[in-house]
Amino acid sequence: MEKLIIEETEDTPEIILDPEEGKFKISKISVPENAVDFYHPVLEWIKNYAEEPNIQTVFDFDLEYVNTASSKQVIQIILLLQKVAEKGNVKVNWYYESIDEDMKALGARYKKLVTVPFDLVEIE
Amino acid sequence: MAQESNRNLFEEAYGLFNRIGESDFEYVYRGYFNHNITKKILILADNSIAKVTDASQATLQKRIYYIMVEGLQNITHHQEEIANDSNFDKYPGIFAIQKDGGRYFISTGNIVANDKIDALKSKLDIINSLDQNELKKFHREILASGSISDKGGAGLGLIEMSRKSGNKLLYSFEKLDNEFTYFYLQTMLPTDENFGTVNPDDSDEHNTLDSVKLLHREMNAENLQLYFNGFFNQDNLLSLLAIIKSRPNMPLTTIKISNVMVEMLQNIIKHGAKSSDESVGVPGVFFLGQTGNETILTSGNIINNESVEIISQRLDFVNGMSKEDLSDYYDDVLLDFDSTDAKRTGLGFTDLRIKSDRPLKYEFQDVEDGRKFYLLQTAVKTQK
Repeated sequence: MEKLIIEETEDTPEIILDPEEGKFKISKISVPENAVDFYHPVLEWIKNYAEEPNIQTVFDFDLEYVNTASSKQVIQIILLLQKVAEKGNVKVNWYYESIDEDMKALGARYKKLVTVPFDLVEIE
Repeated sequence: MAQESNRNLFEEAYGLFNRIGESDFEYVYRGYFNHNITKKILILADNSIAKVTDASQATLQKRIYYIMVEGLQNITHHQEEIANDSNFDKYPGIFAIQKDGGRYFISTGNIVANDKIDALKSKLDIINSLDQNELKKFHREILASGSISDKGGAGLGLIEMSRKSGNKLLYSFEKLDNEFTYFYLQTMLPTDENFGTVNPDDSDEHNTLDSVKLLHREMNAENLQLYFNGFFNQDNLLSLLAIIKSRPNMPLTTIKISNVMVEMLQNIIKHGAKSSDESVGVPGVFFLGQTGNETILTSGNIINNESVEIISQRLDFVNGMSKEDLSDYYDDVLLDFDSTDAKRTGLGFTDLRIKSDRPLKYEFQDVEDGRKFYLLQTAVKTQK
């Protein structure tokens, strides 16, 4: 499957979805005005990937800021990863800075709502 | 006491909002200045100026930028000169860029030691007595004499401000105590010749500088760090975020404030009444201030009458819930992908209430054309 790489901008995250390298990562900042449009290709890509995923998929979220519009898109990504988990092994890592209570709380919220293995990982 | 001071802000917000024209703005930053903050203020101002000037005014835009740089450097220079930082906490400086119709005003206010005033004043008076040719000559003389070694003390920056603006410099000193005085400096740039020149000897001309001094006094009284009056769009939202992020020593509070600010401002951008030139953004005001152990964020913008009911319902709804219920409600909305119920309270207000220290405060004020001025206030507990 073709990889999907989206470079970061001032208000949208860097996205790396690369099955060959085994790298799946969304990082930096996500505060776009129109989150639906931005995440549309990402959701489509994961939908396709769920058809024939790698044996193991480790998906990293390493976000600094997430607006509520993006938070609704992120849950959809995680729910699609549950689909991926039907055909492969999936693990989600949610990174947050130790001082960032809000990002930790958001990760904990997602963890509670989904069945896919979900780790909250504190970084200094 | 905190309540009272917020009340003042609600009362004053519309007056401030209303005092500027549609494609005008005034941005004021008060507090500690460092290289990062300075850089972000420049980006914020430059982006906004670009939105309201056309390509033919590229030279003007460059000159404004140049004068802003000089002004901001003046502040940090004076800040460094005063060894003891606590005096800067006690008497915070101010930077303002204002566009009022065909005129741009760039103003700074910062403390200087009382014993420096005479030298500063005589420098300014010499500069103001010279015409453009003489300024050029004076500039060359100072460069040649090499007296710039005392860190810009020769006033090259001031000369350049006068040269680039083509105008005299307005200044004023306000004594604070036995040691310090606020030094205010204002440069005016006209968008075209019709808007004329500045005559420092005419007391009417001092109105614009007096208004900045008044703003500074009010911001000191309310402990406001940021006053933004103009138009909102995604670009300046990002610049405002960057300014907040550049403030030193409060990482945890900064994250919270940033999150709350994004939701408040995107809410304005999405739902506020647009100006006639939609590409510019949505007109509004935003204040960031500190009272006791809370950071107070206040926004104000125009909405249509029919939005009043729906906004108050939503705010009452989130204000009426416990934090636990809010959290459950957040989950519900998060997982509700096919709701067509436009009346449903969205994640934005829910998130604001969760992150805010107390209920979301709001008010609608009647404005002239039957629309409403909508004020919203959140409070974030300050944590070190």
